[in-house]
Amino acid sequence: MNFWEYLGNRHQQLLTDALQHASAVFQCMVVATLLGVLIGVATYRSEWAGNFATLTTSGILTIPSLAMIGLLIPIVGLGVPPTVITLTLYGLLPIVRNAIVGLRGVDPTLVDAARGIGMSRPTQLLRVELPLAWPPILTGIRVSTQMLMGIAAIAAYASGPGLGNVIFRGLASLGSANALNQVLAGTLGIIVLALLFDAAYVLIGRLTIPRGIRVR
Amino acid sequence: MSSPEAPRTRPAAPEEPDDTGDMGDAGGTGDLGDMGDTGDTAEGPAPSPTAAKPPPRKVSWQKLTFVPALLVAMLLATWLWFQQADLDAVSENALSGGQVSKALWQHVELTVISTFFVLVIAIPLGILLTRRAFRKATPVAMALANMGQAAPAIGLLALLVIWLGIGRKAALIGMIAYAVLPVLSNTIAGLKANDPTLLEAARGIGMSPMGVLTRVELPLAVPLILAGVRTALVLNVGTATLAVFGGGGGLGVLITAGITNQRMPVLVLGSVLTVALALLVDWLASLAEVLLRPRGLQT
Repeated sequence: MNFWEYLGNRHQQLLTDALQHASAVFQCMVVATLLGVLIGVATYRSEWAGNFATLTTSGILTIPSLAMIGLLIPIVGLGVPPTVITLTLYGLLPIVRNAIVGLRGVDPTLVDAARGIGMSRPTQLLRVELPLAWPPILTGIRVSTQMLMGIAAIAAYASGPGLGNVIFRGLASLGSANALNQVLAGTLGIIVLALLFDAAYVLIGRLTIPRGIRVR
Repeated sequence: MSSPEAPRTRPAAPEEPDDTGDMGDAGGTGDLGDMGDTGDTAEGPAPSPTAAKPPPRKVSWQKLTFVPALLVAMLLATWLWFQQADLDAVSENALSGGQVSKALWQHVELTVISTFFVLVIAIPLGILLTRRAFRKATPVAMALANMGQAAPAIGLLALLVIWLGIGRKAALIGMIAYAVLPVLSNTIAGLKANDPTLLEAARGIGMSPMGVLTRVELPLAVPLILAGVRTALVLNVGTATLAVFGGGGGLGVLITAGITNQRMPVLVLGSVLTVALALLVDWLASLAEVLLRPRGLQT
């Protein structure tokens, strides 16, 4: 059975896996973005807290993902919980870092001007600082997503959802006619998903980055 | 591709001295992002007062002691827990007979060998791609590197295992292929970020192209290349856990044995050792980064 026949035969199963992969990454990214921006907003004003947040999250990133999953399994069991926790934790770092750096990079005179025209502190944050810090945050989200695509594949070993299962099924049946098809389908599927997400972020950037600060 | 990358300049800039800041926008790739993060792990304490005064490039005692203290505490806790944990036959089987130290040693070997080859491949390639003759190929190479980074490590490894057969070679090649890209983009970004006026000056005083490269360009790019080395090391410790799926051994053996046999002590020991090794390697690399930086660049 060649690759195209395999795709034709199994497209239903593959599409389900791809959908689960994408939805797991997407949902964890939403959580990671919310948490990351919150952490950034909470810590960027203090030198110490901001550095501590960046340091902790980058420490997490140093840990190999399989080991992280391995440490979580005794606590939360197999399946979806360790996958979600791992993906969210790894997704945090680029967002927290870029949020802090982006918020700190906002020109203080602009914030001053916002205060001068009578904006309250939350309004300053929502209407002035966050929109200005949004492009780096969005870059952080893109970096995170690309990384999570690969980590989600590894999480399949702990019975997580997604295309990683197809790859591991292929690895488990090495030597059989379908092993190559399965591994290839899983790998290419993840690459395609990563590129689709990336394209979506470019589009989101076009739509959400305020006109005044667009680079071109 | 380039427009959304551009804002990267800002995130990268405040963390490290000038040349690194320029770097961020030159490379602007996903993995460069990761690199920066890992870069923070150790540099964090040092540049905290960066905004006001230049960061002290000396190794501070906090930096020197924090990670080892954490590692000792972590390993001690695991050891104490093992003293009272009762191991059944299956766990005993997976841990006895020096299998743990063998796995640990294999892991270190995999990491060292793959890092060596990554550096041997990526740095000369990066130098080559920034020479005048090949400069046109740089964007192509960077785009390819970006695309390649989207490929999941486990998929790459699985494909190589099918192609080359199960064993250590496939695992090593997979690890190398996966880590070459970040180091390559770091090297290219580092060489490109050099101030052209300095190169002009070097040529002006009559240096040969080779002299400009070895005496001016490379020393200036050292911080970024070292950051790339550190990224490669940390990435390789991580991908070495996956080597088990290609029959390459390593600490992944303990982790997968723990998961498939449902034996938590085996799983925890494998994971803790992997984490400890990753943190240790990152810490050593961060020290090297500080110590090997050329004197003139220690602002």
